[in-house]
Amino acid sequence: MKALNILCRKKEYQNKRTWLQKLKDQKYLYVMSLPFVLMVFVFSYIPIWGWSIAFQDYKLGLPFWEQSWVGFKHFITMFQDDKFYTALANTFGMSMMGLLLGFTIPIIFAILINELRHKLFKQTVQTISYLPHFVSWVVVAGIVYKMLSTDSGPINQLIQLFGGEPVQFMAKPELFWGIVVLSDLWKEMGWNTIIFLAAVTAIDPALYEAAKIDGAGRFRRIWHVTLPGISNVIIVLLVLSIGNLMSIGFEKQFQLQNNVVAEKAMVLDLYALVFGIGNRKFGFGAAIGVAKSVLSLILLFTANALFKKQTGKSVM
Amino acid sequence: MRKSLFKNVNRAVRIVYLMALLPFALFLSCGESVSTGDVTFNVFFSDTNADWNNMKDEVGVYLEEKTGVTVAAEFPVGELSQKISLIIASGEYPDMIMPKGDAGALVEAGAMIDLEPLIEKHAPNIKKVMGNQFDRLRYSLNDPKIYFIPTIEYVGQIEFDMDAFFKLQLRALKEAGYPKVVTLKDYESVIEQYVNKHPVNENGQPAIGLSLLADDWRFVISTTNPAFFAAGYSDDGEWGIDPVSYEAKPHYFRPEEREYFRWLNHMNHKGLLDPESFIQKYDQYIAKIASGRVVGVVDAWWEIQDAVNALKAEGKFEQTYGRFGAVIKEGIKPAWNTPTGFRGGWGIGITTACKDPVRAIKFLDYLSSDEGQVLINWGIEGKHYNVVDGKRVIPEDVAAMKYNDQSTFKKTTGIGNYFMSVRYGDGVKDPGGNYYTTKFPDSILDEYSSADKEALKAYGVNFWGDLLPPASEFEPKPWAAFWSIPVPQDKAEMNDFWNLEQAVVKKYLPKAIMGAPSDFDASYDAMLAELDKEVGHLYESATELVKDRLKLWGYIK
Repeated sequence: MKALNILCRKKEYQNKRTWLQKLKDQKYLYVMSLPFVLMVFVFSYIPIWGWSIAFQDYKLGLPFWEQSWVGFKHFITMFQDDKFYTALANTFGMSMMGLLLGFTIPIIFAILINELRHKLFKQTVQTISYLPHFVSWVVVAGIVYKMLSTDSGPINQLIQLFGGEPVQFMAKPELFWGIVVLSDLWKEMGWNTIIFLAAVTAIDPALYEAAKIDGAGRFRRIWHVTLPGISNVIIVLLVLSIGNLMSIGFEKQFQLQNNVVAEKAMVLDLYALVFGIGNRKFGFGAAIGVAKSVLSLILLFTANALFKKQTGKSVM
Repeated sequence: MRKSLFKNVNRAVRIVYLMALLPFALFLSCGESVSTGDVTFNVFFSDTNADWNNMKDEVGVYLEEKTGVTVAAEFPVGELSQKISLIIASGEYPDMIMPKGDAGALVEAGAMIDLEPLIEKHAPNIKKVMGNQFDRLRYSLNDPKIYFIPTIEYVGQIEFDMDAFFKLQLRALKEAGYPKVVTLKDYESVIEQYVNKHPVNENGQPAIGLSLLADDWRFVISTTNPAFFAAGYSDDGEWGIDPVSYEAKPHYFRPEEREYFRWLNHMNHKGLLDPESFIQKYDQYIAKIASGRVVGVVDAWWEIQDAVNALKAEGKFEQTYGRFGAVIKEGIKPAWNTPTGFRGGWGIGITTACKDPVRAIKFLDYLSSDEGQVLINWGIEGKHYNVVDGKRVIPEDVAAMKYNDQSTFKKTTGIGNYFMSVRYGDGVKDPGGNYYTTKFPDSILDEYSSADKEALKAYGVNFWGDLLPPASEFEPKPWAAFWSIPVPQDKAEMNDFWNLEQAVVKKYLPKAIMGAPSDFDASYDAMLAELDKEVGHLYESATELVKDRLKLWGYIK
């Protein structure tokens, strides 16, 4: 018994020692990472304190201890509001569609660009494709409206050229998600391609040569060398973007919406903006934010667990 | 030796004496005494003003000399209510602030000081301008203090030329032979005749019969407000108020208004309504009107002003608009000119951060004095106007700049930059028999084009506004206008109204109007049911809001 005790202590001591030893060995690394840890703490953890507002009838200008606490009142109102579920459906709908298109197409595009031989042409294509990323959504929304207008919009002119009837694209609620996702794709495709292209260039050229000698054609090489080579990057990005499913922002919906399609445009952030902050109900707005964060976390952990099970790899 | 000792003692005594007095003096200066030197006030303006010139303009320099007050202006970047929220959250208030509709939040945060004692003591001119409507400055029934001096509303304003929203292109009127436009049917037939005759315009673009605007808040201006005007009511924002019981309900519940929207549905069914009415953005709308293709517009002049100015600049005067107060059916009196009295409303307040409120109120009082009002409206005598035969006249070169290059005019002269206190409106004359403002019948006629004048001659009137029944035919609304009632803390739930209600109306109304005529009633009923569900709990608060104002103003007990 005593021996065991001593053994335990000794092990503890050793553990402690090695831990201290490690700390000492890696002290520069720790010091170097400290600013970033601090940054994450300051900007991502301290603001969680603000969640307390979700449980208050928050009034501006009053100190914290004078705010009135209301428990789960805001959450109850939120869960009883039909608009919350509409917003939830819209957020999910648009982000799932966005994930499907916005994820596969940049990969395909990256691979296609990678296959291009002519260097100047390759670079030109790449630059042109990511330029829209720098255009503000206000401008993009204007372009989309002009393009889709029945009043001399190019797309309707094209339809009429082929003998079709002009379509009021922006007045069809059922098309709104698609319009948002497609304009987002146009804007961000090139930008999202960059990271995959970088991953592709990191693949060892010897693999391609070996595949070539083995008689693999272009598509075989893409399938057996390029894709497996970037699969790690794909999985990490996919899991992370699933965690971001709920935070698709509201800029594009806000800019592209009009009264006819407003119901399909109301995403969670817009809901919080209009009915929370817009009504000066900061508590209610915060409650929506809390619900959104919790949902995001659930999604992220589920996605990660699924991938871990499937591939044995994990992001966290 | 003796003498010098005495001298020293004397000095010591004097110092002690002075030191004894010092706290007393300090105490005095903390009280009511007014500083006389130059002072700078930080003033937050509700609207950005690109022509603000840091008081380096001519009127500004004069004001600085006269009052010793320098105004350091601050303007909102982005949305006003967010900026006000930020100011409150930071607790760093300017000396004076104009929060427009967000006054309630500032009052609630305890940031505003009660101006009544200051006005009583130091502001005879503000009292004089307000006259017997002084009580209309009070904030609310439960908090009847005075926090704001109105800056947006004028006192005693006479509308020489009321702007009715139902607008028709002058060339369409001319072709139709300047017919009487009394009902929506008359309005429609002018549009229909013109569109049938000229399906495409001179540039080959298809004509648009009637275009509406529904972009964001502009939805209420062009799409929904015309409904109560066509039904013979006046503007109470989104509410309809029973003049006897003061019961408030969203105005869409009035049966006559349903007929207005049915007419829009009918216009759409006939193909006369622009199919893009509910989806176009403001800039698209303005571009369409500026192209001269839109025959009918239902909107305020200030909303289509840019487009009309563009048409005027190109000399296409016959493509600008005549204005009518069309009604749903004969016998309804269009109530555009309903008198409201002074509406109180949005203004400037002094915050708790202001170190010298007395000086601040004196400055505002100067702007409200006869001299001050002439200064901010007309400018400096000899420079911006001359007195000829006892009348103020603007010299030609100044007038040319005033009408053709408004921005430079405002920047250099400063006229229009200092509307910071309560003042008289158009049509009020000073003791010398001159108008306080530069807008009066003759000056309005100067702005009419030849095409306007031709049409007005055919109608036998001087102004478009003359086609409407005059103010004398209406009973004044004792509550002024619903939209001008500030929402006090004890009615905070009313702050939810706008967003909740707009969400419902914007969702159902376009569907009802763009749908088949046979579906109209079902869609409209669905909207009313949804309104009851979403904002029904606020009708009572709204009614109380009206009654509280009437009590505050002494109309009912």
